[in-house]
Amino acid sequence: MFTNFKLAWRNIWRNRRRTFIAISSVIFSVLLASWMRSMQEGSYTSMVDNVVKFYSGYLQVQDTAFWEERTLDNGFAAPKGLKTNIEKIGQVTLVSGRVESFALAANEMRSKPAMVMGIEPEAEDQITAISKKIKKGEFLETGDKSVVLGKGLAKYLNLDVGDTLIMIGQGYHGISANGLFPVKGIMQHPNQEFDKRLVFMDIENARDFYSAYGISTSLVVMADNSYAVNQLKTEIASILPPRNTVMTWIDMQPEIEQLIESDRGSGLIMLGILYLVIAFGMFSVVMMMVKERKREFGVIHAVGMKKSKISIIIFFETILIGLIGCAIGLLISYLFCAYFYDNPIPLTGEMAKATAQYGMEPYMFFSLKSSLFYSQMILVFFISMFISIFPILNIQKLKITKAMRG
Amino acid sequence: MNIIEIKSLHKTYDDDSVPVHAVNGVDLNVEEGEFTAIVGPSGSGKTTLLNIIGGLDDATKGSVTIDSTNITELSSRKLTNFRMANIGFVFQAYNLIPVLTAKENVEFIMHLQGRDKHDRESRASELLQAVGLGEMMDRRPSKLSGGQQQRVAVARALASKPKFVLADEPTANLDSKSTENLLNIMQQLNKDENITFIFSTHDQRVVNKARRVITLEDGKIINDINKELL
Repeated sequence: MFTNFKLAWRNIWRNRRRTFIAISSVIFSVLLASWMRSMQEGSYTSMVDNVVKFYSGYLQVQDTAFWEERTLDNGFAAPKGLKTNIEKIGQVTLVSGRVESFALAANEMRSKPAMVMGIEPEAEDQITAISKKIKKGEFLETGDKSVVLGKGLAKYLNLDVGDTLIMIGQGYHGISANGLFPVKGIMQHPNQEFDKRLVFMDIENARDFYSAYGISTSLVVMADNSYAVNQLKTEIASILPPRNTVMTWIDMQPEIEQLIESDRGSGLIMLGILYLVIAFGMFSVVMMMVKERKREFGVIHAVGMKKSKISIIIFFETILIGLIGCAIGLLISYLFCAYFYDNPIPLTGEMAKATAQYGMEPYMFFSLKSSLFYSQMILVFFISMFISIFPILNIQKLKITKAMRG
Repeated sequence: MNIIEIKSLHKTYDDDSVPVHAVNGVDLNVEEGEFTAIVGPSGSGKTTLLNIIGGLDDATKGSVTIDSTNITELSSRKLTNFRMANIGFVFQAYNLIPVLTAKENVEFIMHLQGRDKHDRESRASELLQAVGLGEMMDRRPSKLSGGQQQRVAVARALASKPKFVLADEPTANLDSKSTENLLNIMQQLNKDENITFIFSTHDQRVVNKARRVITLEDGKIINDINKELL
């Protein structure tokens, strides 16, 4: 086997220029493919990151009935220690409670239905970075009795920092909820609908307002990265009381996952085209290598080398060209992607504005997910294997006298 | 003792509209230790006959028995093994493996036979010394002259300790000095080690050295002269 490998290795360097061209084509294709995939996956990660930080978090613990009927009555009293136990799970970075409900927000003249979010200010800020979106006044602190309004809502109600917001609604299990809340800050939410409806207040303040003492509608769980959510879901589910459930961001927003999957699919089609080009390039080189050595194959078969052994040598040659190209391509592309992973490409002009408007960072992100790289290696290996079938078939049909005349 | 027995051998090519009888009823015996030249004009069937004896081509009819084995009845796989173990080949265009050194080329067949490294190396060195290339073992074919390459080919042909060596126009691409040199080496090996050589050739110098000369014409033996008997 070693001799076959040695022969194959020397054979591929017989025509250095041609081998360099073949290897270069593999290198560039792998470079392009992995760069493209890294950029794609980087943008998905960034998209997911933005989506989860926008509202949902990576996971949410809720009452089993809450997601179907999102009312305060389907909130739950988290058992003592649940939050801490979830926080202890590896890859969980943060757990924060929320009370979400609705109320009629008003000033002395106008009113509008509002979405009330009772939050743990410091923890929530780490999830949704609301403090960075404050345009006027200040963000909430734990124990605050005041509120932060979306800019759209503040404008509609003609309220400013220091003014008082009137809220009327229905509290826990039908108790009436009324209150006056000083406006501490005005924020601009990237989502215009949210901006016109959002009222943030401290979670205890919200519980008081809704008479929902000790109740949360959800516990928002943040994780190291989006790839861990399924495993975390299982782990969290195992420690939840029977009335609770855990949902991932995919369960809550399946359309995002579908969007990513469809985009990934179109990326894979591009990748397929790219690899088809590699396959044809490698195929032509390997066929040339075999055709021009027909006489030599005739001779080595004549002196006693079996066709199966000749086929093994050709197989090694094809695999070697593919894998050398792939290894070099991967090394270069990894270095490239690693650089851009640390230094994302900034977007400029309209694109940057549009991205920022959606609350996303105006950068083109890259991913260093290992599967992006080793999958290229596996793919090239299989392509090489497939390509080697054709010259091997040629060898099986080899006629010594004919080959030696050629 | 006959090592090759050929009976009523025919080879007909039916590729064209008119069948070509390249070998047309050849009966021939070759004894161990012969130094035989097969001569004849182009198209007389020399190379075809040699190819059939070497198991490189099929016969249309007849049999070729080598050391009690009728090779025309062997499967392709068995024939490959048989060739490797029993027949040495020297080709007109040397046909060494370009990516291997002279020594590796000689070792190649022994490697296919599964002989151990030490055995391979010592046999290859010994053979290359015998053909006068002891100093050039590590050169690749491209760094050797035509004559030197053909001597490596002879060493390669002998590596597997074959029963006989078939040489198809071995001197056709060589100058007179190299031809003389090569023939002397083969003659010496024939004399010292009783190796049987069968050549197909146009070269009068080869014919002069041969002890038996078989003349072919239109696929038939028209003359078979054993100089020793003369």
